[in-house]
Amino acid sequence: MVPAIEPGDWLVVNPLASSWPRRGAVVVFHEPISDALAIKRVEAGPGERVRFADGYLTLAPDEAWLVADAPAAATAAAGFGPPIDSTRFGPVSRDRLVGRVLFRYGPLRRFGRIAGAHA
Amino acid sequence: MSIRSATLRFLEPRTTVQAHCDLPCGIYDPEQARIEAESCYRVIEKYAANEDSTFRTRAIAIKEERAELVKHHLDVLWHDYFKPEHLEKVPNLHDLFWQANKQVSKVKASTDLADAKRLLELIDEVDAAWKITGGEAKTRVAGRPS
Repeated sequence: MVPAIEPGDWLVVNPLASSWPRRGAVVVFHEPISDALAIKRVEAGPGERVRFADGYLTLAPDEAWLVADAPAAATAAAGFGPPIDSTRFGPVSRDRLVGRVLFRYGPLRRFGRIAGAHA
Repeated sequence: MSIRSATLRFLEPRTTVQAHCDLPCGIYDPEQARIEAESCYRVIEKYAANEDSTFRTRAIAIKEERAELVKHHLDVLWHDYFKPEHLEKVPNLHDLFWQANKQVSKVKASTDLADAKRLLELIDEVDAAWKITGGEAKTRVAGRPS
């Protein structure tokens, strides 16, 4: 999620979210397949249409499409493969949402709101 | 303990989340799928040559397991090794993997040697696609790591 979120950042997460937040919000969720606690950005919410493979996919009323900020080319340049996000594991259902990231409180010099995807 | 470190300890997050990417080893070879498919072929031969019900039950179970590994190795090649630019050299790539994976499903449900042989042929086609896209030169360690 660099540069919006760096490794080691301390984040405040609102665990009371009852639905998927709006597009652009950063969320913590249980990743499908691995069940790991992961962090990604909401690219599309319930009922929206997302580009997938060679076509489109319409999200169910409780689903969101979560993506990494880094494009595949950037992760490849850093020696990694594609980001592990909805393009890999598909839509994420509401019961996997843990909370919405509100702001960063550490390190202090980076205190504040989370920047947009390509700020 | 100082007030500063106590405060920091209090504020320190208790939970870590990941924003991870894939870390591919970069080693790909259709031979992995081929060896598991050969196991299916040989198990079907052995199944046909043995009337013992316990042996046959084991043979079916092992064939299922090996076939699942064929699917896994084919999927890794398809998703991780092959890139969009390879479609220029292998225009039927997606259809080839679709057919190969469907054939694995057929082998799972079958005790007909011809089905397993057809799977080997399809894996050989995948192997040819891997070779003409430079896989042999790029995705194996030249010699053994010393």
